[in-house]
Amino acid sequence: MKNRKWLSVMVAALFVIGLTGAVNAGTLEDIAQRGELRVACQTQGPPFSFIDKKGNRTGSSIELCELMAAEMGVKLKFLNYDWDGLIPALLSKKADVLAADMTPTLKRAMKIAFSDPFMYTGSVVFTKADSPFKTVEDCKKPGIKIAVLLGSTGETDAKKAFPQAELKSYKGGGPLLIDAVIKGHADIGVNDGSAVTGGLASFPPNSVRILPGMLSKSPLSFAVRYDSMDLLEWMNLFFLHISLDGRLDQNLNYWVNTMDWKKDH
Amino acid sequence: MTGCPAKDQDRKAKIVLETFNFRIIVEYLPLYWKCFFATLWLSGGGLAGALLVGVLSCSMRLSESRIASTAAGVYIESIRSTPLLAQLYFFYFGLPSLGIRLPEEATGILALTLNSGAYMAEIIRAGIQSISHGQIEAAISSGLNYVQRMRYIILPQALGVSIPPMLGQAIVLVKDSALLSLISIVELTRAGQILTSERFMPAEGFLTTAVFYLIIYYILKTFSNWSQKRLIFRGA
Amino acid sequence: MKREHKKDMWGFYFEQLVQSIPFFLKGLWMTVALSGLSLVAGTVVGFAWGIIRAGKGKVLKRIIGAWVDLIRGTPFLVQVFIAFFILPEAGIQLEAFPAAVIALTNLSACFICEIVVGGIQAIPSGQREAATASGLSSYHQLRHIVLPQAMRIILPPLVGQYVLLIKDSSVVSAIGVTDVTRVGWLTVQRIPEGIMVFGLVGILYFVICYPLIRLSNSMEKRMTVVTTRL
Repeated sequence: MKNRKWLSVMVAALFVIGLTGAVNAGTLEDIAQRGELRVACQTQGPPFSFIDKKGNRTGSSIELCELMAAEMGVKLKFLNYDWDGLIPALLSKKADVLAADMTPTLKRAMKIAFSDPFMYTGSVVFTKADSPFKTVEDCKKPGIKIAVLLGSTGETDAKKAFPQAELKSYKGGGPLLIDAVIKGHADIGVNDGSAVTGGLASFPPNSVRILPGMLSKSPLSFAVRYDSMDLLEWMNLFFLHISLDGRLDQNLNYWVNTMDWKKDH
Repeated sequence: MTGCPAKDQDRKAKIVLETFNFRIIVEYLPLYWKCFFATLWLSGGGLAGALLVGVLSCSMRLSESRIASTAAGVYIESIRSTPLLAQLYFFYFGLPSLGIRLPEEATGILALTLNSGAYMAEIIRAGIQSISHGQIEAAISSGLNYVQRMRYIILPQALGVSIPPMLGQAIVLVKDSALLSLISIVELTRAGQILTSERFMPAEGFLTTAVFYLIIYYILKTFSNWSQKRLIFRGA
Repeated sequence: MKREHKKDMWGFYFEQLVQSIPFFLKGLWMTVALSGLSLVAGTVVGFAWGIIRAGKGKVLKRIIGAWVDLIRGTPFLVQVFIAFFILPEAGIQLEAFPAAVIALTNLSACFICEIVVGGIQAIPSGQREAATASGLSSYHQLRHIVLPQAMRIILPPLVGQYVLLIKDSSVVSAIGVTDVTRVGWLTVQRIPEGIMVFGLVGILYFVICYPLIRLSNSMEKRMTVVTTRL
């Protein structure tokens, strides 16, 4: 009887050790073993992740991931989602990394771990070129219709800045908001400056005007799950390396700071 | 680095997932009620419109005028051969190019109306074709013209027979209204999407949504069974 | 001046649309592949369920019946979201396309099940009794007496159901499967001429669905002869 008890304790101990050992294999090892890095990215979020006119997936975040995979020595697999589907995809382990222009808000950080920021932008207000709204103050009217992206910081910023407005949350990506404003479904739109500038490239020039001033300052980061701290450390080191050797600036200058990418895509 | 904390995380995650978070649902119940009624009135509007369009296009289809018949035929066959979602996007993205600016709800109800209208037309047509020939000939020999025959003899009876399949189409309509969430209309399916994007809880979000739809379904189904019982006594 | 500008824009967009046709064809292939897989699998499962439902096993009948009711009572879009977002939480890792196939197969099976039940129950029970009296086992009854005759009743609505399911496949565009509808949605964000883009989408679906509808109608006509002059 005493032997049996001792035996079960031994088995339990071995089980726990075995489990801990098994779990100790971090995400980096999994990726290396699998030979593939799975990335959750946006379907239509120019200039970070979008489908160009040839039907190929491209963008700033896409190219950064390509660099990452090359450094890791693995293949890349892109899984695309609407903006509001990115975090659930990461959490449900469909993807290892979330690569988008996402702001590391404290609320989101309760669920997922963000990398150090790779760039900074902020929420801006945009409107039709011929609309009467000239400044952010003009927009603080009751009942004004604002187009925002479902699940984005633009949505929260707009709620705070324009408490009397009627918010319309679009499911999808930034270009939908620009389309809504141009077609008159909404009076103004609120989204990250980089996303608005990137999205405008597909629309007739001078159809949309961005109002001066930012509603908020947003750093942009990639993200992983909290069980992938090894991947997070690696990714931060990766960003450090590419900012030191100039590849990050190259990427951002091509995609975000100018419209150079429009020629090829 | 990733030893015990990850194991704890896994275990905690499992426990949380196994426990359906009812607290969240209670917190979001006001949103769900709002969306429930939105679904009801969107579907109701679509149903009313569909009946009108159905009666109109059916009459056109069966009329002797070649033009009316072909026009209605083209309308019905185009609707039946294309998906509702494509039709919805067609109106949502297409109308503004013609300069027509409608609020999303109006576009949604328009798409639902035109879509279900075609199916209603076919249901009514089947109902009409089930009316005994003798009645129609009697009506013709009594000197009633096409419009009068339709109005006083054919349509009332056809509509009566058509009620069960129409209720079936009503059920389809309610389910179709879910697609309206994709053009950013706030209704039941959008409630699930909101819970997913705000709280990262798709299970609680969409299962609750499903429950609300099932409530509507069972109410309509019960009504359909009840009306079928009454019709059997009246009709045959 | 504005009118001319409009015409130019229209021409410009049309050209861009023509350039995107390969992308649309890719989407069309995806729709066909998705529908094809789901319809075949759904038919097999649907027939199995239908035969069980028309049979004797009380418990199985009820379980399948309850499931079919659940599927028929909720929007397919919600089912697709559940398959995509919630199944992974139960441990089944799914990407968009497999989730779409599973959801569409399930939907097909449920509706086909009811059609099969209707067909089998339309066979007069006298036939089955005679078959049992002649010593035929249930399996043989089914295979040689019931099903062959039931097929005549099942086939027209079955083909009609196929059309409905091909149209329902457009819903999976919501979880990112790049079918014809999704291609249209992506394209219209680059080429903001909704009528042209979704006109093209509509034509592509029409090409697949209309022949099937005519087929179903002609099958049905061969079974009922009714003409009405109003």
